[in-house]
Amino acid sequence: MAAPRSCALWGYCGRGWSRVMRGCRLPGLRSSWPGSPLGARLLSQEKRATETHFGFETVSEEEKGGKASPDSTFCLDPMEMIHEDPPQFYQVFESVAKKYDVMNDMMSLGIHRVWKDLLLWRMHPFPGTQLLDVAGGTGDIAFRFLNYIQAQHQRKQKRQLRTQQNLSWEEIAQKYQNEEDSLNGSHVVVCDINKEMLKIGRKKACAQGYKTGKSYRKNLQLGLAWVLGDAEELPFDDDKFDVYTIAFGIRNVTHIDRALQEAHRVLKPGGRFLCLEFSQVTNPLVSRLYDLYSFQVIPVMGEVIAKDWKSYQYLVESIRQFPAQEEFKEMIEDAGFQKVTYESLTSGIVAIHSGFKL
Amino acid sequence: MVTLLRGTLRPLRLFQALPGPAADVPLRAASQGTGLLYPEHIPTSLLQKVLLTAGSAGMALYNPYRHDMVAVLGETTGCRALRVLRDQMKRDPEGAQILQERPRISLSTLDLDKLQSLPEGSLGREYLRFLDVNRVSPDTRAPTRFVDDEELAYVIQRYREVHDMLHTLLGMPTNILGEIVVKWFEAVQTGLPMCILGALFGPIRLSAQHLQVLVSELVPWAVQNGRRAPCVLNLYYERRWEQPLKALREELGITDPPMHIKA
Repeated sequence: MAAPRSCALWGYCGRGWSRVMRGCRLPGLRSSWPGSPLGARLLSQEKRATETHFGFETVSEEEKGGKASPDSTFCLDPMEMIHEDPPQFYQVFESVAKKYDVMNDMMSLGIHRVWKDLLLWRMHPFPGTQLLDVAGGTGDIAFRFLNYIQAQHQRKQKRQLRTQQNLSWEEIAQKYQNEEDSLNGSHVVVCDINKEMLKIGRKKACAQGYKTGKSYRKNLQLGLAWVLGDAEELPFDDDKFDVYTIAFGIRNVTHIDRALQEAHRVLKPGGRFLCLEFSQVTNPLVSRLYDLYSFQVIPVMGEVIAKDWKSYQYLVESIRQFPAQEEFKEMIEDAGFQKVTYESLTSGIVAIHSGFKL
Repeated sequence: MVTLLRGTLRPLRLFQALPGPAADVPLRAASQGTGLLYPEHIPTSLLQKVLLTAGSAGMALYNPYRHDMVAVLGETTGCRALRVLRDQMKRDPEGAQILQERPRISLSTLDLDKLQSLPEGSLGREYLRFLDVNRVSPDTRAPTRFVDDEELAYVIQRYREVHDMLHTLLGMPTNILGEIVVKWFEAVQTGLPMCILGALFGPIRLSAQHLQVLVSELVPWAVQNGRRAPCVLNLYYERRWEQPLKALREELGITDPPMHIKA
């Protein structure tokens, strides 16, 4: 399997290995060389031989279709990616994956739905927007995004209908010829480091009626793709997405600055970075009640519902470790974003940070 | 107002785990490392114990297959009863030996081949038969986590591991009816609130026919035997594998069950 594909790859990707390999997630090939420009990843010679065995489904399809587009985003088949040294929180999320949604509802008393809705309203996407949702395992943001776009499309169609009551038969016939896809080119890619969370997200997508294709490219056309990847080293090319969101995921990243740099890299110029995350509470009374609730009630809930005290203890501790609104804003600015703002919700329990790549 | 509240509540140690963390973080539970009395220990505050009690009781009733919830209930409510049990064990010579040597019953400590080779009717052989017929293993017991005393944590662990022995002694299978009968016996013997609650609320899920049999014959028999027998935690079962079961029953004053319950 390795040899013929690698030949095709050599012949096809005229720009050479570097662009191809940037997308590769390989064990052992960690951080970029110091001093290299943002995005270029130079790889050592001796690693090339082992790189070919990863699934190259998407590339071969391109080759078959004859679409010569070295600039296209490609992603390796998610389920073949192997992560060598899973970070500490990986095992935590493996065990919490199944009960994740139930526990979210119980712990936040359902308020997390409002927070995520608010994030979408701040984003205000329109048909044609390409979203990358990182650490979006079970797909909450992705589904909301697709619903938002579809609702907009429906509203647009209703408006159009009202103005089109006096069309001639010819014009009506023409309308049938231009079938407008409800998504109109928008799609969302859900990227998560954890396979279990992605599996659950996929199941939810199927249950809601979203079709899934066999390859990444096909999934993009259908509007929803699931990719296994690390926020610190995204398997995507530069300048690919209009919006990058990360909801309740960035506090689990070991090197937040790297994740922010990656976000900056994959966004198109003019793209927007949005982060929904737990933050510091400003009001002292709310802070005491919040502490009490977090440390006394949440681990108990985790034990009773999910049979897992320790994971939820870790969760509430990781929330406390995360920097406050102003500090995080500065970190985002350091990564190269401009016009960075934040909005505290529920007295600062969560905050939405927003920045633009200009 | 908040400081006033804190001032009155602090002596109650409602929000602090025992042993408590630093005084300047009164509302935060101790994280790992500080104050662990035994490897699996999770220090909990009074409020957490109350919430755990309520939550585990509710979940155990809602989903009877959550045996871990019954175990947690036992740990959070058993403080007083465990102390009484521990003192009882200290007074008895065999019990004191158990407390000192801390034997554990698990697949790694049991010599299954030796038990298999024992004669029919002996405790070891009957115990093995019980495990086979009911398809259970001594390794399914969760470790103790929420008891804030290391010796008491061992006592409750011993109680859990001896539970299977009680099934063998009483001749009860591991279905709901058999478990309730054993719970009644244990409630009388140990006085653990979890056993009492289990004995009283367990029958909720029984059919009318079973309930009638339980109330009329099985419960009186279990209670009578429970009162008559000495503390079952004082028996060093690991040294009694060869003892014939009948002889052990006579020693403890346990009569035959009024009817045979199928597994």
